[in-house]
Amino acid sequence: MNSSTPDSSPALGGVLDVIDAGVIVVDSARRIVVWNGWMAQKSGIEAKAALRRQIEEVFSGLRTDRLVQAVSDALAFDNSGFLSHTLHPSLLPLRGSNGQPLLHNIRIRPMASNGQSYCLVQIDDVTETVRRQGVLRDRQNARYRAVVDSALDAIVTTDQSGVIQWMNNAAQRQFLYDADEAVGQPIDLFLANPADWPSGQEQDDAARRITETSGRRKDGSVLHMEVTTSQWRSDGRVFVTGILRDTTERKIAAEALKRLNEELEQKVEERTREREEALAKLFNAQKMESIGQLTGGLAHDFNNLLAAILGNLDLLRKRLPDDAKFRRLLDGAIHGAERGASLTSRLLAFARRQELKPKAVDVAALISGMTELLERSLGPSIQIETHIPVDLPAVHVDINQLELALLNLAVNARDAMPFGGSLSISAACDTFADGATVPDLGGGDYVRITVADTGVGMDETILAKAREPFFTTKGPGKGTGLGLSMVHGLAVQSGGALRLSSKAGQGTRVDLWLPRSPHEATSESNVVQPSLKLARRHCRILLVDDDALVRMGTADMLEDLGHEVVEAGSAAEALTLLQSGVGLDMVITDQAMPGMRGTELAAQIGRKYPGLPIILATGYAELPNEEDPGLPRLSKPFRQEDIAKIIDAVIQRGDAGAKVIALRR
Amino acid sequence: MQISDIERDAVAEIANIAVGRAAASLRQIVGHEVLLSVPSVDILTHEEASHVVAKPGNRALIAVCQNFDGPFSGRALLIFPEANSLQLVRAILGQELPLEDIVDLEDEALAETGNIILNSFVATMANVFKRGLTMSLPTVLRGDGRQLFAGAPGERELVLFLYINFEISQKEIRGYLALLMDIPSLEMLRTLVQDFLDTVALKGAGQ
Repeated sequence: MNSSTPDSSPALGGVLDVIDAGVIVVDSARRIVVWNGWMAQKSGIEAKAALRRQIEEVFSGLRTDRLVQAVSDALAFDNSGFLSHTLHPSLLPLRGSNGQPLLHNIRIRPMASNGQSYCLVQIDDVTETVRRQGVLRDRQNARYRAVVDSALDAIVTTDQSGVIQWMNNAAQRQFLYDADEAVGQPIDLFLANPADWPSGQEQDDAARRITETSGRRKDGSVLHMEVTTSQWRSDGRVFVTGILRDTTERKIAAEALKRLNEELEQKVEERTREREEALAKLFNAQKMESIGQLTGGLAHDFNNLLAAILGNLDLLRKRLPDDAKFRRLLDGAIHGAERGASLTSRLLAFARRQELKPKAVDVAALISGMTELLERSLGPSIQIETHIPVDLPAVHVDINQLELALLNLAVNARDAMPFGGSLSISAACDTFADGATVPDLGGGDYVRITVADTGVGMDETILAKAREPFFTTKGPGKGTGLGLSMVHGLAVQSGGALRLSSKAGQGTRVDLWLPRSPHEATSESNVVQPSLKLARRHCRILLVDDDALVRMGTADMLEDLGHEVVEAGSAAEALTLLQSGVGLDMVITDQAMPGMRGTELAAQIGRKYPGLPIILATGYAELPNEEDPGLPRLSKPFRQEDIAKIIDAVIQRGDAGAKVIALRR
Repeated sequence: MQISDIERDAVAEIANIAVGRAAASLRQIVGHEVLLSVPSVDILTHEEASHVVAKPGNRALIAVCQNFDGPFSGRALLIFPEANSLQLVRAILGQELPLEDIVDLEDEALAETGNIILNSFVATMANVFKRGLTMSLPTVLRGDGRQLFAGAPGERELVLFLYINFEISQKEIRGYLALLMDIPSLEMLRTLVQDFLDTVALKGAGQ
């Protein structure tokens, strides 16, 4: 073997050829003077092909001139040089025995020999070292990788200055960065506040912590995270590893729960308030009901008294001499009693105990027929406007009471507009589902009549009390305080509702809902049939009333009409009398009596003495509809002519029918 | 032992030229601008020199070190805070390498990088003085300032301490280039500086 060295020494040449590293020596002209066996073997270039040539000639196509430069510097400046495989992978085309590229580092040193400058280039095979490092590391990391790469949470490691060194798959998914985009960047890339990440220069305990913070993704979106960090050391170097758990959904859920709780509280508050309002309404309704019962009872008694007074006054007028002075006094008394009767009738209306005769009513026709009356009542300073659709359906109501109600509302409006204004009466159809917003109204079809004025209006306190009976703002002697009470009573008793809306200074609006009638309005319904003057027939009449005063007055009136009267103070007494075989043509009975009531008495009589006519005298609508036996009725207080008319009607009906009433004679 | 202001300025000027070359080499490697401070030149003890390097927060240092020998001898060091070194290696090798590889490659990559910079620095100085300096192979050292300077020539003596701050822009990498020389070398250096000044003066007079 011959290694060529300037100062040839066979022993040294042999050493060079067996040494396990590449050795090249170049002279000051950079010509290769030593090329050992290792070089020949790994490069496939024999010594004789390499010697006397320059390195860049032997290895043409080197990727960098670093090697040539380093050799030149060594020769020129005595510099030593180091070329690492890390910066220059596959610098020289060397291959291992397996044919694979050989990883190598190169050291370059100047040397002198016999006054000549040389450069020693030493090539070290690091393939096996690097491979072994990799194997060891992989073995060390295998379990760690299995855990970390399969983790659902993002795991990120930085060096002590917070530069990202490594991140797991979950981190790539969580922050939408590829590893090669994020590695080398500061941790601020992921954290909104970099202070949440330990600086790497803290005590280990201080670096180990859990922080709630917000992070950001590559697309700029923000996420909530729980960041757990700790620092660790490797080869004297500090690293920080953090687990960055995405808590966005948890946070959203927590916030939703919080919001839900708040809503729940709000709902509880609302429901409580609604309940309180409902209780207040109920209380008010009960109050109205109590007042109604009280006034109803009172009105009933008054009615009886007025019946007696009017009856007796009627009789007295007939019997007293026809003297102007007497007649004036009598007329005064009768007028007073009549006013009293009108008052009780309104009280009964409020108490919803008036006797209603509901039928299909054409509201448009009614209002148009009232216009003249309204104009006269309201005076010239108030303009009346009506807006009634032509196709408005009929309502089911007592026409006389409705007329009175509208008049009441109009008068109220007039009193609210002392300096004039306008009154608007309109109507429209409303259909409500069950549980509708209008108070006290069930589901169904209704007609709404609205009476609105431009007057002084009412404040809240007055509005709340407006429907109570005897409440008035009109001053002493000007109002009874029964107008709105009556309208309210009519609405409720007719299956409708009343709503007042008003603000002080902004007028008042009254909505009156009445149920739509299933029938068409009949035009003749309101026409009073001309009564035929019938020949008086003299009957024997059983008069039943528990009130002796009323009974006496009625008996007087009947006898004055030429009838014969048998009196009974109770239903039981009446039945006894009938049983005793007294011949009778007719029974007139009061409805409200202790013990047996008028309708019950009528039912018994009807069974035992079929065909015997019965007239029911009622002070107020105390008959539930289903109890109405369809008997002719006499409304209290009645006048003599009322009795005469109804008796005539009963006789007439009896004559018209084929069945003859069992008259005594 | 003192050096005159003019000598100090001359050394600083020479170092400035040398470090300019070195910075150009570094810029080539990392592909980013390298910013340099004005060199500071002082005669200090080792202790004092290690204090200059060990700024607060820079206790753990990493250095590439090459000894030089010739008319004057000493040690050239390229020093970084250890916290920066992985970033520097990334800057040299590319971003995409995994952490383990970076750690494995760190020393070799630093050694070569330091070698290029230090060679270019020292060779420029030698060139200016027209004297040859033999540079050893680079070694990588870790430790605080005192440990880095341990074993340098003239350890217990005063040293000439030449110190340059540099910063790689956009990478937040800072470091220092330092030259330690023992006192016998210093006298030689002073002679060389004087020669250099004379040459400059002659050239100036000749023009």
